[in-house]
Amino acid sequence: MRISLTDIHKSFGSVEVVKGLNLDVEDGEFLVLLGASGSGKTTALRMIAGLETVSAGRIAIGGRDVTDVLPKYRDLAMVFQSYALYPHKTVFANIAYPLTVRKRPRGEIEAAVKDIARQVQLDGLLERYPRQLSGGQRQRVALARAIIRRPAAFLMDEPLSNLDAKLRGHMRAELKHMQHELGITTIYVTHDQIEAMTLAHRVALLERGVLQQLDTPANIYNRPANLFVAGFIGSPPMNFLAGELVNGQFVAGAGSFGTSSRASRNAAVAGIRPEDCRVTASNEGKIVGEVYAIELIGDHTLVTCRCGAEMVTVKADKECDHRIGQAIGVSFQPKAIHLFDRGSGERVE
Amino acid sequence: MTPDKQPWLRRLIVRLIEPPNLETLAPLPRIATYAALIAWSLIVLMPLYWVVITSFKVPVDVDTGPYYLPFIDFQPSLDAWHYIFVDLGNDTLRPYFNSVVVALASTTLAILIGSLAAYALVRIRFKVMLASILVFIGLLVCVIVAVAYVHLAWQLAVAVAGALFLLFLGTLSRRFRAGVGNSDIEFWIISNRIMPPVVAVLPIYIMFQQLHLLDTHVALIATYTAVNLPIVVWLTRDFFAGVPIDLEESAEMDGASKFRVFFTIALPLVRSGLVATFMLVLILAWNEYLLALFLSNANAQTMPLLVSAQNGTRGPQWWYMSVLIVIMVAPVVVIAIFLQKHIARGLLIGAVKG
Repeated sequence: MRISLTDIHKSFGSVEVVKGLNLDVEDGEFLVLLGASGSGKTTALRMIAGLETVSAGRIAIGGRDVTDVLPKYRDLAMVFQSYALYPHKTVFANIAYPLTVRKRPRGEIEAAVKDIARQVQLDGLLERYPRQLSGGQRQRVALARAIIRRPAAFLMDEPLSNLDAKLRGHMRAELKHMQHELGITTIYVTHDQIEAMTLAHRVALLERGVLQQLDTPANIYNRPANLFVAGFIGSPPMNFLAGELVNGQFVAGAGSFGTSSRASRNAAVAGIRPEDCRVTASNEGKIVGEVYAIELIGDHTLVTCRCGAEMVTVKADKECDHRIGQAIGVSFQPKAIHLFDRGSGERVE
Repeated sequence: MTPDKQPWLRRLIVRLIEPPNLETLAPLPRIATYAALIAWSLIVLMPLYWVVITSFKVPVDVDTGPYYLPFIDFQPSLDAWHYIFVDLGNDTLRPYFNSVVVALASTTLAILIGSLAAYALVRIRFKVMLASILVFIGLLVCVIVAVAYVHLAWQLAVAVAGALFLLFLGTLSRRFRAGVGNSDIEFWIISNRIMPPVVAVLPIYIMFQQLHLLDTHVALIATYTAVNLPIVVWLTRDFFAGVPIDLEESAEMDGASKFRVFFTIALPLVRSGLVATFMLVLILAWNEYLLALFLSNANAQTMPLLVSAQNGTRGPQWWYMSVLIVIMVAPVVVIAIFLQKHIARGLLIGAVKG
């Protein structure tokens, strides 16, 4: 169901952790709330869940105002970072709990639990207790408990962060498939940009309680709305050069180059992603510098260059024969350059 | 001592006082540990043993003793048991039944009410305005004065005071900031136990006299419940604080009400702590003497009173007392053994994270 947040504020004492959040989540959409710790993403999720009151603003689910409604009447299911399995109940009783609470008939509960357990491959484990399960199995119990009653929406608070890297990748794919199959609106909180990029239909990037950008993963990556978004998304992060923009010509300490813009700014920042850069001979590059460090990652090499006052990272071939201290140039396409106003941080077209 | 003998001696000493690995004890500390444990066991068990053998003695064996070993020092006899169970008969069984009813009922009530209070104190933030407490006390004093000295009808005085209090809550109370938080309430609850019960025993006596409830189970159950509540609250609040909040929030998201969360999630998870608290409070209620002395007479008399009654005009009847003590101790020991396996640890493993 559609979930909309209108001008949501939240303060703990004198600290305002969410500042005027507006968000519209479409029916069936997978929306990821992305941000560093302290960005207010978990608080926002908990307000939608009803576990936290809002200081100001309205929350609506499926057109119904639920701002002052208890969690149990919001018809949402939540998966916690800690899984929050009931340790004194078996896997069966854990998964069945939302239906038991609703006093559904015994036969119906049994059929539903068996069905869900097969979907998440927990068939043989229904009589076990949570302490007898591995991390991945516990995660699946938590998911099963969330999906068993077909809620209006799923809320997930960093559900994968307690798994090891390999299992996390696997569960990520499972989650995406499951959400696609069920078509239930999902709001997912994470600090991991890879999870955000891979899972989301749209990503909402938060910083210090303010929504920085709300867009598809591709747009967030290709057209970051401001310096913060540009620096947050991408690994290794985007290179930034400070300089002056004169009729679309960017003048930096390490060189001057044309852009696809026609704008002028006294204080501007040019951002270029490492994979859009190439290391060239020193007389061919748009900016010049010298090699500072070379790191072989495996399938590629990261070449860090000192260009004037700034460090520029280039994602180069794995066969890369530069030496530290060598004079080089760095080249890139004009359309790969992101321009920002240095004062406001906003994107310049 | 010759120099070449010293390493050998040192090795021996080291072997005696240093453990072979970190999980076992070295011989000397092991001997010391077991010696201490045995000594302590004797200190604990000796009185029990003494009571048991005394219950099988006849008066002359007690007076001319001490005799330690049955069949060797003295000839055991069932005289005292016969007197207590056959000659006294109902006069033994009635107090015994009273003790069981009063102890079990008051302990169950105290655990139920106390754990609910402790849970609320852990999970709900209370903020009571200090000013409203003071106004309440002031109005209460005014009502008492008005009824006692001005001879106002008490219904009228209470109604006026109540109206004034509500008026205060609705208007002026918001202007006062100082409040009483959860920790203040907790301290207030436990502070009720600082005062020795004997101080309150006369008011309690008069209260039940006015209610015509003296010498009834109700009086004892109500009093014991009230007296033991602070202990229950104080002990169980730590257990509830140890339950991960995620579990309760998850249950609430799953559609459970606050009471359901309490009874199906929080309570089962603190079971071991509750069992321990139950045992403690049960023993306190089972052994209570002073309040029972004031509040009960013939009908509601409890076992501690019966035991002490054996020290009457004929001097202490140790043999009868011993029989009563044995039958008083037995059920508590049985309950403790039965409940011990419920005090299982590590119940929370697997709840959150790995």
